[in-house]
Amino acid sequence: MNYRTKASLFRFGLYAFLWIVVLFCLFPVAWMIIISFKQVGESITGFNALRIHTPTLANYKRLFELIPIWRNLYNSAFTAVVGTATTLFFCSLAGYAFAKYRFPGRNALFYFVVGTMMISTEVGAVPLFVLMRRLGLVNSLWSLIIPRMATAIGIFYLRQYMLDVPDEILDSARIDGCSEFGIYRRIVVPVAKPALASWASITIIARWNDFFWPLLFLRASEKYTLMVSVSMLPVSEGLSTPWQVVLAGTSLVIVPSIILYLFMQLYQQADLVAGAVKG
Amino acid sequence: MKPMWKALKRHRYAYLFISPYLILFLVFQLVPTVSTIYYSFTEWNGLRPPRWIGWRNYQLMFRDYMFRDAVRNTFLYWIVGTIGIMTLAMGIALALNTKKLRLKHFFKTATFLPYVCASVAMGLIFRMLFEEHVGLVNEIIALFGGERVPWLASSKYAWFPVVTLFIWRLTPWFTMIILSGLLNISEEYYEAALVDGASTWQRFVHITLPLLGNILFFCFITITVDAWRIFNESYVLSGPGTSNTSLFELMYRSAFTNFRLGYGSALGVVLVVILLALSLIQFVVRRRTGEI
Amino acid sequence: MKTVQIETMHAGVQKIAMDHLAGAYKDMPDVIMLDTVGIVNLVDAGLLLDMTEYWEPIAHEFVEGAVADATINGRVWALPDAVRPQLLFYNAEIFEKYDIDPAMMSTFDGYLEAGRLLKERSNGEVYLSYIDTGTYTWRYWGRRGLMPQAHARIWDDDGNVVIGSDHGTKLALGFLEKLYNEGLLYRTTMFSPPMYEAIDEGKIATFYIGAFWDEFMRKNLTKTVGQWRVMNAPVFEEIGTGGAPVSTFFCFVNKGDTAYLDLMVDMWYDFQTNTEERNAWVAEMERVNGPYSNPVALKVLEHPFWQEPSEFYGGQSFRKAEADGLANPSPNLMVTPQDNEADGIISAEIEKWVAGEQTMDQAIANMQRELELRIGRAYVIK
Repeated sequence: MNYRTKASLFRFGLYAFLWIVVLFCLFPVAWMIIISFKQVGESITGFNALRIHTPTLANYKRLFELIPIWRNLYNSAFTAVVGTATTLFFCSLAGYAFAKYRFPGRNALFYFVVGTMMISTEVGAVPLFVLMRRLGLVNSLWSLIIPRMATAIGIFYLRQYMLDVPDEILDSARIDGCSEFGIYRRIVVPVAKPALASWASITIIARWNDFFWPLLFLRASEKYTLMVSVSMLPVSEGLSTPWQVVLAGTSLVIVPSIILYLFMQLYQQADLVAGAVKG
Repeated sequence: MKPMWKALKRHRYAYLFISPYLILFLVFQLVPTVSTIYYSFTEWNGLRPPRWIGWRNYQLMFRDYMFRDAVRNTFLYWIVGTIGIMTLAMGIALALNTKKLRLKHFFKTATFLPYVCASVAMGLIFRMLFEEHVGLVNEIIALFGGERVPWLASSKYAWFPVVTLFIWRLTPWFTMIILSGLLNISEEYYEAALVDGASTWQRFVHITLPLLGNILFFCFITITVDAWRIFNESYVLSGPGTSNTSLFELMYRSAFTNFRLGYGSALGVVLVVILLALSLIQFVVRRRTGEI
Repeated sequence: MKTVQIETMHAGVQKIAMDHLAGAYKDMPDVIMLDTVGIVNLVDAGLLLDMTEYWEPIAHEFVEGAVADATINGRVWALPDAVRPQLLFYNAEIFEKYDIDPAMMSTFDGYLEAGRLLKERSNGEVYLSYIDTGTYTWRYWGRRGLMPQAHARIWDDDGNVVIGSDHGTKLALGFLEKLYNEGLLYRTTMFSPPMYEAIDEGKIATFYIGAFWDEFMRKNLTKTVGQWRVMNAPVFEEIGTGGAPVSTFFCFVNKGDTAYLDLMVDMWYDFQTNTEERNAWVAEMERVNGPYSNPVALKVLEHPFWQEPSEFYGGQSFRKAEADGLANPSPNLMVTPQDNEADGIISAEIEKWVAGEQTMDQAIANMQRELELRIGRAYVIK
C-alpha cells in the first residue's frame, strides 16, 4: 500500500472512530430529551421512543407545578458558583506554594496531600453531619461550600500546571519589589488561566450535579438544589409521577451544565487564540 | 525552637498559602474519618446513644455475604472501569489531538457531553435501555439475531450496565486531562523521532507515554478513588439482591436505611483501608518507574 | 410565628433520627405521616407523643381498627389518616374475551386456576399478573399481601426468627412460587414505563395489591381506561381472612414543646370529619389525577359521594369498593424496629429467586439463616 492510501485509510478510520464515539455519547442524552417531549401514553419502549407523534410541553409545565424550580435553580447556581470560586482560589494558592516555594517539609506535606486524595470524604458522612449541626450549617448552602473549599485533587492538578511557570519571571518580580501575594495575583494567575479555566469548568459541573451531599445536608425543600428536587420526583408510593415528567426534569437539569461547558470552551478557545498559553 | 521559628518566618508565605487547605482538611475530613473509626466499634441506631461492642462489627463482616459481594463487585468495577476508561480516553485524546482534524471543536464538545450529565438522571435512562423485554440494547441484539439478555434481572449480568454507565460518564473527564497533557508535549520530540525512523507505535510508546507519565499516574489514582466511590450507578441500576451493589452503597444502606450506623461505619473504615492500600501500591510502582 | 413542619414516611424517620442525632430538636418536624414501622422505631426512642387521650373520646366515630397498627402496649401513638385495603384489580374485558368468570378469584386456588385458563386460552399472551425484579415483590406480594393472609410470621412473640419453619410462610411463598413456576407472572420492573405499556397492551390481567395502585393506573394508563374492575382480595380457603390493610397515620413529635399541638389535632379532626370540605378536596384531587384515599370517619363514608361510580372502572364505584375491601381483614405482620433491615435481607433472597438462581425453599432457608446471623433476636416492643 502506498503512502497515500495508507494516509486516507487512516483518516477514514479516524473519523469513523470519532463519529461512533460521538454517537454513543449523544444517544442516551438525545433519547432522554426526546422522551421528555412525548405525551404520556405514547410508547417509549424499544425503538418507539424515537418517534414523537404529538410533541408537547405538558411535561415541562407539570414539572414547574411539582417542584419550586426557580428556587432550586438559584440554590444550585449559588452552590456551584461560589463553591467553584472558593475552591479555585484556595487550591491555586496552595498549588502555587507547593510548586514554586522551597520550604522545609514541602515534599512530605505534598505526599500527605496526595495521600488524602485517596480518602473519600463520604466515609465520614455521619460525623460530618453532626459537625455541621453544631456549626449551625445544616440547611444552609454553605454546608456544601465550606468543606470543599480546598480539595487535594485541585491542588495536585493546579500544582502540576504551575510547575511550568518559569522561575525567572517570579524572581524578577521579587526584585522589582512585588509582594508575594501580588506575584500570585498579577503573574501566576494570568499565566495559569487555561488550567484554572478548565478546572473551573469541571468543578462547576461537578458541584451542579452533586447529589449525595445536598441530599444529606439540606433538609427543607426550599433549600434543595435542582438535582435533589428532580431525583425526588420519581416514583414512590405516594407520588406516581409519569416518567416523561421525570425525564423533563432531568433534561432541565442538564441544560445549564451544557451551556456552561460550551461557554467555558469558548473562553478557552479565545485565550488560546490570544496566545496567552505559552508553547 | 529558635531555628523552627526562623524557618516559619522565612517561609511564612508558603505556609500561609497552604494553611487554608490544611485547616479545612483537619476539620472536615480528618476528624470525621477518625470519628467514623470510633463509631465502627459501636452499635448505634441513630436514635439511642452508641454502645461499645468492640470488634463485633468486623466479625460480622467476615460472615456477611453482602460484604463479600460488595467488595467483589467494586473490585470488578475498578478493574474493568480502569481498563475501559484509560484505553478509551487515550484513544479519543489521541484522535482529538491529530493535526488538521476537521470539526475538532464539535468532536471535543460532543464527546464531553456524558460527563456533564448527572449520573442519577442517566441511571434512569440506562435502566430503560437495559430492560430485558423491550430495552433498546436487547432490541438491537435481537435485530442481529442474538438472544435477549436479562441484564438487571440476573446476578450474572447485572454488573455490566453499572460499569457501562460508569465508563460512559467518566471517560470524557479523563480524555480532557490526557488531552491537556498531550498538548504540552512539544512537537520537536516527535520530529526528532521521525528523523530517526521511529514508527507510529514506537513514538507512542517511547515518547507519548513517558511524557504523560505523571498525568497517567494521576488518572490511575483518580479512577481508583472514583471506582470505589461508586454509588449512584449501582443504586439506580440495582440487580437481584447484592449482585451488583457497590461497597459504598452497602455502607450507605447499612447506615442510613437500616440505621446500623456502627456497621456502616465499619464498612466505611474497610473502604478507606482498601483505597489506601491500592493507592499505596500504585505509588510504589510509580516511584520505581518514574518521578512524581 | 412558628411554622409547622410535616414530613412523610421513611424520609421523615430519617430526618428525625438525624436531627435527634445532632440535637436539633428545633428542626424536627412537628407532625410526621408514618406507617407502622416508622412509629415503632420512634416510639421506642421516645420521640412520639402519646395520643391516647385525644383518641379515646372520638374513637367510635371512625372505622373499625383505624388505629390498630398504631397501638403499642394499649397506648395509641398516632391519629389515623388512611386505612387502605388490599384489593384485586382485574381487567374485565380480558376475562370476558377468554370467557373466564372473575368470581372464581375469590379464593387463591381459584386465582391460580384463572391464571392457568388465561395462559391456555390466550396461547401464553396474557399473564395473570406481574412480578417485580426488585424489592417490590416482597413488599407487595409478600409482606403486605400473601404473608398476612396466610397468618405467616417472621418473628415469634419473643422476637426469635421463625420464618424458616413457619407454616404460614410456606403457604404464602409457596403459592407465589406456584404462580411463577407455571409462567403466570410477567417479569418486569414495577412502576416503569415498559410495565405500563405491557399493561395497556393487555399483557397483564390482574393486580393483587393495595388500593394505592388505583392512582398509579389512572395516571399512567391510557388504552385500558374503563376496562378495569375491583374486587376483594382472594382468601386462602383454609384460613379465610381477607387482605391486610395498610394504615398511615399522623404522628406528633415529642419535642418538649410541640408548637400548636391542639390546633393541629383540631385541623386533623376537621379534615377527617368535615364531609363537605373533604369531598370537595377529593373531587379536586381526582380532577388533577392526584392521590387521595377513603376517609376514615364513618360519617363521611356514608355520604353518597363515596359511592359514586368511576369512569376508569367502567361504572363501578372504586370508592365503595375500597370501603368494602376493608371487611374481614387479616392482621398485619408483627412490626419490630428491625423490620427495615429484615425486609432488605428477605427481599434479597426473593430477588435471587425471581432471577431463577435459587428455589423458594433455598430462599426461605437463607432468610432464616441471614436473619439469625445479622439480627439475632428482634427487639419486640411490649
